[in-house]
Amino acid sequence: MSFWETITGSDLTREWTAFAARADALPADHQAAWAQISSSLLPHGDFTGRNLPPIADAALGLLEQAAADGQSSHEVLGDDIPGFCTALAGGHGARTYRDRWREQLNNNVARKLARLGG
Amino acid sequence: MEDLTEMLKGTLEGCVLEIISGEETYGYAITRRLNDLGFTDVIDGTVYTILLRLERNGLVQVTKRPSDVGPPRKFYALNDAGRRELATFWAKWQYVSTRIDSLKEGRR
Repeated sequence: MSFWETITGSDLTREWTAFAARADALPADHQAAWAQISSSLLPHGDFTGRNLPPIADAALGLLEQAAADGQSSHEVLGDDIPGFCTALAGGHGARTYRDRWREQLNNNVARKLARLGG
Repeated sequence: MEDLTEMLKGTLEGCVLEIISGEETYGYAITRRLNDLGFTDVIDGTVYTILLRLERNGLVQVTKRPSDVGPPRKFYALNDAGRRELATFWAKWQYVSTRIDSLKEGRR
């Protein structure tokens, strides 16, 4: 990274453009998932945002692999894309897959209880 | 069986370690293996984040290999730290499961 890139962030722009080009090659539902992933990742960026490209690269790689295996993006990521991104970013105090599962379970129980009229 | 999520919590990481310890493998194959075992709720995204965490914690060795379909796959194998972690997991599992079994059978 040159001084110019450090100041202007031009290397970041280049990386995100490269990701966009890779995403364009994906099937439509994977592209939609990618759009949601990239926007969900933004809150996890650090001050310069330079922690994000490796994470985004990993997520895009997963989507590419899923597309190659003929899986839908929903099969791979489920319903909770923001939760997936948080788990990927591994932020401190962030929601993990455990929290997501706990919430899922609690919702299921609450729903079944409601059906019983309890 | 459905709605196993709360019980699986905390053991899934050990399950993934065990699967990797058998032979070097990749994310998609690990998910399929778990699904075949009957853990049908487990999705790739979950396995993938577990794999990333194992990688960050230095428990696995990662090799990128070109695949005939699409982008290169990441293959995972256990390193020494991973094998120790797996042994610890089974020791804990043994501890918990024998006690739960005795509870069920009404012994003390």
